[in-house]
Amino acid sequence: MSEILNTLMQDARVWQGHQHIRTVQSAEPTGYQVLDNQLGGIGWPKGALSECLLDTPGIGELHLLLPLMQRLSHSGKTVFWINPPHMPYAPALAREGVNLDQVILIDTEDEGDFLWTLENCLRSPVTGLVMAWPGKLVAREVRRLQLAAEAGSNVCVLFRERRYAEQNSPAALRLELAPGDQQDLTVNVLKRRGSWPGQCCSLAMNQRADLAFRESPRVVQGPWSGRAG
Amino acid sequence: MLWLYLHFPHLLLDHIRRSREQQGALAVVEGSGQKVIQACPEAQAQGVQAGMRLKTAISLAPELGMVRADHQQEARILEDQARWLYRFAAHIVLVPPDGLLAEVGSLQRLYGGLSAVWQTVEQGLNERQLNAWVAIGHTPLAARLIARTGRGECTADKGHILRILGQMSLLAAGFDDKTRTRLQRIGLKTFGEVLALPPNELARRLSPETLAHAQKIQGNRADPQTPWQPPHYFRQQADFVQEIEQSQSLLFPLQRILSEFEEDLCWRQQDTDSLLLVLKHRHQEPTRLRIRTSGPEHRADAFLNLIRLRLEQHPLRAPVISLVLLVKRFLGREATTSQDLLGETQDLNEAWHTLISRLQARLGDNALRQLTPQADHRPERAWSASEVLRGHNNRLPDYTQLPRRPLWLLKGPQPLTETPPVWFSGPERISGGWWDGQRVHRDYYIAQLASGQLAWVFRDVRDGWFVHGWFG
Repeated sequence: MSEILNTLMQDARVWQGHQHIRTVQSAEPTGYQVLDNQLGGIGWPKGALSECLLDTPGIGELHLLLPLMQRLSHSGKTVFWINPPHMPYAPALAREGVNLDQVILIDTEDEGDFLWTLENCLRSPVTGLVMAWPGKLVAREVRRLQLAAEAGSNVCVLFRERRYAEQNSPAALRLELAPGDQQDLTVNVLKRRGSWPGQCCSLAMNQRADLAFRESPRVVQGPWSGRAG
Repeated sequence: MLWLYLHFPHLLLDHIRRSREQQGALAVVEGSGQKVIQACPEAQAQGVQAGMRLKTAISLAPELGMVRADHQQEARILEDQARWLYRFAAHIVLVPPDGLLAEVGSLQRLYGGLSAVWQTVEQGLNERQLNAWVAIGHTPLAARLIARTGRGECTADKGHILRILGQMSLLAAGFDDKTRTRLQRIGLKTFGEVLALPPNELARRLSPETLAHAQKIQGNRADPQTPWQPPHYFRQQADFVQEIEQSQSLLFPLQRILSEFEEDLCWRQQDTDSLLLVLKHRHQEPTRLRIRTSGPEHRADAFLNLIRLRLEQHPLRAPVISLVLLVKRFLGREATTSQDLLGETQDLNEAWHTLISRLQARLGDNALRQLTPQADHRPERAWSASEVLRGHNNRLPDYTQLPRRPLWLLKGPQPLTETPPVWFSGPERISGGWWDGQRVHRDYYIAQLASGQLAWVFRDVRDGWFVHGWFG
């Protein structure tokens, strides 16, 4: 086989259905051993886009990234939040051990600014992690972002709605997030580089509210009179 | 002191000619549109002359391009030239409407003689395709008068300069009509004869002003000149005789402007990362295109490519009558260091500042924020957002004692619209703010909604239920 073909194979850019190749792409561990195992033992890919598809906030999606945020913010890398849907709560982040000096919040006005900002953050060597909440993205724009991500070597996570799961995307890693029955987070791997997708795992997320896991229902019977006031 | 004077006999004409691709007969018409003021060589070859009526000129040259004289525009073009001349000389004086004065006595040693200064300036004029009559004089006025007659010579010899001045007619010497008539009645024809008169008599018989004028030319009286300072921005304009409809045709004048800009940046040892291109239309608001580069840049090619891309994306809304390139943001040029002696930290620091300044430049200073916890019990006030600063304190305060809070805080409490099926902890009473009027009196619970979201809900003292955060 010619040399070009060999490199293509080793690069894991060509997907070979019949075999798993341990890819050599650089990555950051997620901090969750279970998830790392599902992702071929590596974690969040660096220099590539990752997508988290979820319906509503508050299911543990930030805790999924918290170990990475903690690690990067203490190693002097900057963590960008671009257009978050709500306000990241500073006391909670500080309590979790995220160095807030390295956290920068960016609000952009329009689509053009958003893409421009994201591209610039991705290309910079100071960036460790970019978390972005885009509105609508056309496949062409995702590709443009993917190219920008390849220029740098940082983790970029796009949070998008779950209905995009059916759409094709050039992102290197696509995770579908859904709340589990016991305050846990179900992660469904829709796509990953160099291997079969379809892995599924459940991450315990009780720690996010200091809840020792209890069989539902009901710890406190709230002063609740049957209907929302 | 020696002064160099540049007289531009038809500056406006030159300015327009050099942003035209095809050369054709061209004339500048006075404001009312009746008379030709300046005519280019092509027009002159067809018989068009300055002072001619416009109708005559058009019948001589049917293809004649016409430009209306505009004083503001002329002043701006003159300033462009001053900016260019500033590269060669520090002390420059604008002499509107068509002259520039530069002090060159102090430059002789730098350039290696007066003739070298002269040659440098002439060469620059050729490169810029400008017609100018150059002259040197020992006083500003002498230089100006000689330049305007077109008899300038490269000499520092005062005697020679005075001889040339002496042969000058009274009109050329810049006396006003009344004085000239009186001098002629006395029987004087040249400036030399005026100078030969005793000064006292000149002041008594004519007027003190006449004497002052003569003495200023001679150099016996001080004639202070205020030096001009170049503005801290780059602005170049190209005006078109015929409206431009194809964006491709804009590239030709842009190429010249950009290469001048590159040269200018080179002289200042600066870079830029944003250009403003304004395209003016006859009946519409001007189109403003902001062109940004991904990093500091100074090459004309790079700018031209970006502009070309931009113009391809946005077709022209209307025909263009003039284009302006404006640059206000300059960055110091830095040598690219591949590896710092102290390791990477220095480099990263710079990269951090570059990135943040770029983002701030485009998005506005308020778009970027940093968060800090604040000591307050009320969740709304337990944090603050501030402008981005590079943090240097390595000792972080210990935040592990803070109570458990959600990672998402809603921008304002949202009414709770459903009964949560699962309740976890609570109530946690937060009551405070009586001291500043922002009273808060709430009981907080953690509850899971039917959608699986873990919410931070509270019950207000007025018996309402609200969601205040999500445990993301």
